Amino acid sequence: MAWLVVRLAISVSLLYTASAVFEDQVGKFDWRQQFIGKVRFALFDTHSQASKKLLVATDKNVFASLNSRTGDLFWRHVDKTGPEGHIDVLLMYGQDAVVVVGNGRLLRSWETTVGGLKWETVLDTGSFQAATLVGVQDYVKHVAVLKKSAISLHDLSSGSQIWVENLPDSDTVQYQTIYSGGNGLVFVLGVVPNSHIVIVEYKIEDGEIMNKKSVEAAWMSSLENSCTVISSGILLCADQITQSLYTLPLQSAEQKEMRQIHLQTLDLEVASGFQPVLTSTRPNPAQPPLSEFFLQLSPDHHILLQLKDGLIAPLRDFNPSYLAAFATSGERTVAAVMSPKNDTACSINLFSADTGRRHLDTTIIYHMDPNGGKPNRLYVHAFLKKDDSVGYRVMVQTEDHTLTFLQQPGRVVWMREEALADVVTMEMVDLPFTGTQAELEGEFGKKADGLLPMVLKRLSSQFILLQAWLAHLWKLFYDARKPRSSVKNEVTIDILSRDEFNLQKMMVMVTASGKLFGIDSKSGTILWKQYLENIQPNSVFKLIVQRTTAHFPHPPQCTLLIKDKDTGLGSLYVFNPIFGKKSQISVPALPRPVLQTLLLPVIDQDYAKVLLLIDDQYKVTAFPSTKNVLQQLQDTASSIFFYLVDSSQGKLSGFRLRKDLSTELIWEVVIPAEVQKIVAVKGKRANEHVHSQGRVMGDRSVLYKYLNPNLLAVITESTDTHQERSFVGIFLIDGVTGRIVHEAVQRKARGPVHFVHSENWVVYVYWNSKFRRNEFSVLELFEGAELYNSTVFSSLDRPHPPQVLQQSYIFPAPISTLEATLTEKGITSRHLLVGLPSGNILSLPKMFLDPRRPEVVSEQSREENLIPYAPEMPIREEWFINYNQTVSRVRGIYTAPSGLESTCLVVAYGLDIYQTRVFPSKQFDVLKDDYDYVLISSVLFGLFFATMISKRLAEVKLLNRAWR
Amino acid sequence: MKRLLDVYVALQALFALSWCFSDAEPGPVAGSPSNGDRFKIEGRAIVPGVKTQDWISTARILVEGEEYVGFLKTDGSFAVNDVPSGSYVVEIVSPSFRFDPVRVDITSKGKMRSRLVNYIKTSEVIRQPYPLQIRSSGPHTYFMKRETWGWTDFLMNPMVMMMVLPLLIIVLLPKVVNTNDPEMRKEMEQSMNMLNPNPELPDVSEFMTKLFSKGSSKSSGGNKGSRSVAPKRR
Repeated sequence: MAWLVVRLAISVSLLYTASAVFEDQVGKFDWRQQFIGKVRFALFDTHSQASKKLLVATDKNVFASLNSRTGDLFWRHVDKTGPEGHIDVLLMYGQDAVVVVGNGRLLRSWETTVGGLKWETVLDTGSFQAATLVGVQDYVKHVAVLKKSAISLHDLSSGSQIWVENLPDSDTVQYQTIYSGGNGLVFVLGVVPNSHIVIVEYKIEDGEIMNKKSVEAAWMSSLENSCTVISSGILLCADQITQSLYTLPLQSAEQKEMRQIHLQTLDLEVASGFQPVLTSTRPNPAQPPLSEFFLQLSPDHHILLQLKDGLIAPLRDFNPSYLAAFATSGERTVAAVMSPKNDTACSINLFSADTGRRHLDTTIIYHMDPNGGKPNRLYVHAFLKKDDSVGYRVMVQTEDHTLTFLQQPGRVVWMREEALADVVTMEMVDLPFTGTQAELEGEFGKKADGLLPMVLKRLSSQFILLQAWLAHLWKLFYDARKPRSSVKNEVTIDILSRDEFNLQKMMVMVTASGKLFGIDSKSGTILWKQYLENIQPNSVFKLIVQRTTAHFPHPPQCTLLIKDKDTGLGSLYVFNPIFGKKSQISVPALPRPVLQTLLLPVIDQDYAKVLLLIDDQYKVTAFPSTKNVLQQLQDTASSIFFYLVDSSQGKLSGFRLRKDLSTELIWEVVIPAEVQKIVAVKGKRANEHVHSQGRVMGDRSVLYKYLNPNLLAVITESTDTHQERSFVGIFLIDGVTGRIVHEAVQRKARGPVHFVHSENWVVYVYWNSKFRRNEFSVLELFEGAELYNSTVFSSLDRPHPPQVLQQSYIFPAPISTLEATLTEKGITSRHLLVGLPSGNILSLPKMFLDPRRPEVVSEQSREENLIPYAPEMPIREEWFINYNQTVSRVRGIYTAPSGLESTCLVVAYGLDIYQTRVFPSKQFDVLKDDYDYVLISSVLFGLFFATMISKRLAEVKLLNRAWR
Repeated sequence: MKRLLDVYVALQALFALSWCFSDAEPGPVAGSPSNGDRFKIEGRAIVPGVKTQDWISTARILVEGEEYVGFLKTDGSFAVNDVPSGSYVVEIVSPSFRFDPVRVDITSKGKMRSRLVNYIKTSEVIRQPYPLQIRSSGPHTYFMKRETWGWTDFLMNPMVMMMVLPLLIIVLLPKVVNTNDPEMRKEMEQSMNMLNPNPELPDVSEFMTKLFSKGSSKSSGGNKGSRSVAPKRR
């Protein structure tokens, strides 16, 4: 019964806090883009001519089917992150795609039209080497998987294992390749580096070893890349040191060593230091490969060769050429070669594989993006035209993970920016004013200079507004006359300007590959992109907005700090976030590893905020470092503090800046690293506003919040991971004085800990290992009934410790990430945005995470609108702000205030990107979008006419009475 | 005197940032345990009245968050391989259909049982069938209903009814009932007397006005007069 009361109370309170999406709002102000990651394997479905399928497997452990006409996803399967979901190989036969996952852990077969699993089998342990389809008499029935020490054969239709055999001498021989020519035998090829090659023959029916031989090959270190099987089972290898090709028939018993063919005899030479790459093609997995192959001699030199009667003859030399690939349609095999045309474009041509003859009219021009990377993979889709000639389309992959699908004569059919699958950090930047808007703003900014000029200025600005409105009306009229299809809402940088409520912003996204994007938040259009070359793969990025768009005519300025994770050395990249152009400002050199960055509210004469960079000798570099800035820094040095974290030693230390830009240590907190390690440290967001200083209680007194802007929340986890002894700790430390304001420990708990630190509260989530559930805990800090110093907050003068309230709740779902909404003035109630592994984003009212929720309802708590305490947090589907637009592997949620107090902009990123707006307290400052204009105007008109008519009637009546 | 008005602290250490990155992706499990003590969670998902090919490509099976991931077969059945013994919450996530999670316990010998998820009483066992049979409870209800405006809503509003009904009575009654008919008038007068059975009983309001306005008895007298006049006029 008590439960029922609580439930009822909750549901009543929901009436006030619910912030849900209405069905007609779908797609109105939100959008989602789905990504797959860097493509590792891509196969076109050549099963039928009309098929549009393109199967891809990526480094993000995603296996997907793309529509090759539009680039959209048919379906996508997202596996576990990390090595356990890693896709080792993708094979395709007919409607089935066979995938080996997790370093040979699982073998899966997918039904590619529906996107469902056909079967899945667990493979024996052992690291994966290779897999191949095995055919017998033109028909593929099996798949063979080679592990480090075993080979197994599986049935293609059911996945059942037919046989598994241990490989002989697997401790000395490195087995690397597997080959089957469709004649009932499987060859396993291994190598003993710099000694010999081992070839083992297995019978398909029962796995019996038919033959085993070893061939001298002292020059060989690895079979991968430099070797391939061509023609009817002839192993072909290339070696750079001896400048030779080697051939060996796999099946013949008499040949005891590999036949050497000097490249000199073919007038060829491998570039020094380049490992030659051999590429062969196999149109039908049940038949042996073709006898033609590509040999890559240097990064931009390919040659098409043919093996005929034991002799190798060059068919065509492609010099220069970047990329080469084979493709087959029906019985015809072609080769596509990309060669440079000029500085900005490449041309792709088609050649017949068996003769090397060029097909006429098959040129595709590929324009290289000057802000992108170089092309590094070429995937060709060949098809037979009606006149029996071969047509083709190509997909070009570049270093920055972009996929471009082209057709003749160079039309870009679609493009996917797969770098966005790995967004590391982002910022939202206000759009600039247009010229007229800036002028209007300028009117209010300037000092008054007499009555008459002010009036004139006022009139002129009104005139400008009128002009703009007329132009807008004209445009509307003009667009209305055109057919709807031709009116396209194309967004370009030139027409971008701030809208009425500042709801449209520029999203600056930094991806792990080093590519920067500028995306329009309203439509999701990519407005600019910039690929930064030479970024180490494990770099850490930090994006800082130094100057916003508010300082016209100075352009906005963003600074990206790129830090190598291993060396700690950093570099700065300064750019304009609206146009993506690199700034010409000189950047300080950073010779030492950067430990900490600090954005000061001090501005230089160009209105750029000053960025301080602290290196490992605690020296401070200021950027920009003009005389003006240094002067200001000297004046304010005594009040600039910063902190450093050393997680390996569990040390937090606070420093103060001196006038000569050196630093002095003022405090140090040591959290013993052998017991617990510091996992994360977070302060409050700099752009956060708190509207009310306190909370009004039921008895009309005020409970003041403890609003310390220097407070740091430090999360620790125990080093002991045993279920009974593990714990999660939280410390609240003042960043200026180093005083520990509060500490709390959650026993029998472990990470990963997600937390939000804002206003006067910290919310954190941990895993309760005793009860196996996620729990939310909220800490709120209050000064009490009186404020100590209500005018200004100083960390150095705080005699009274704050009152700390804490409450915990059960959260009935796992959690991926956590963030809080943010609004312009902080009047709107706060919601927590919880990213769930299912891809939904839950908007949870902060009201539910209030440590003052009473266990027993009293008159006062009802007055305060407190929800009675319930141990389990509710999850309602109406609170999912992204309805069915789920965001896979959500890794971060970014919130930004808009010009409207009620509205908060939200971007969730992970594998996908989702942008929306949330209204935590509903839209209280604008008319709702379902506002009934028709009703209100019809009522008004109705009343108007009613008065008219009744007036007339009254007149008539009066007249009649007068006559009587 | 030192003024410490502006105290600035850097709000985010760089390393903290880098940890966040590594936190997001759970690291590989240290040392791969042998295949012997790894088990398989099997089951079937059913959406009544919907063909499997319409929804299986967007659905996944999540075991304990994203710790183990499984996919659905074309017939709606699933198997999550390589799961060590322990207790897990198995959930089918689909953007279109709702499935209730189930807790699956695997003993170290590989015995399986499934039960309802109860986060408050975690040891409570309400058995569910194993292999799992998870039936969808319908499509997700992501959207709130708009408050639609209709004439019936307007008319059924109690405030409106309170306003409209007396209005109707005032306007329509005199038209329906012919007041000029003397018989009718007589009848009405009788019924009025019926309503006020004892005319000698003092009226409460009259009593109150008398009580509070003793000084101005004239006005009360005037009141009386008007009251006595009123029935006559009718």
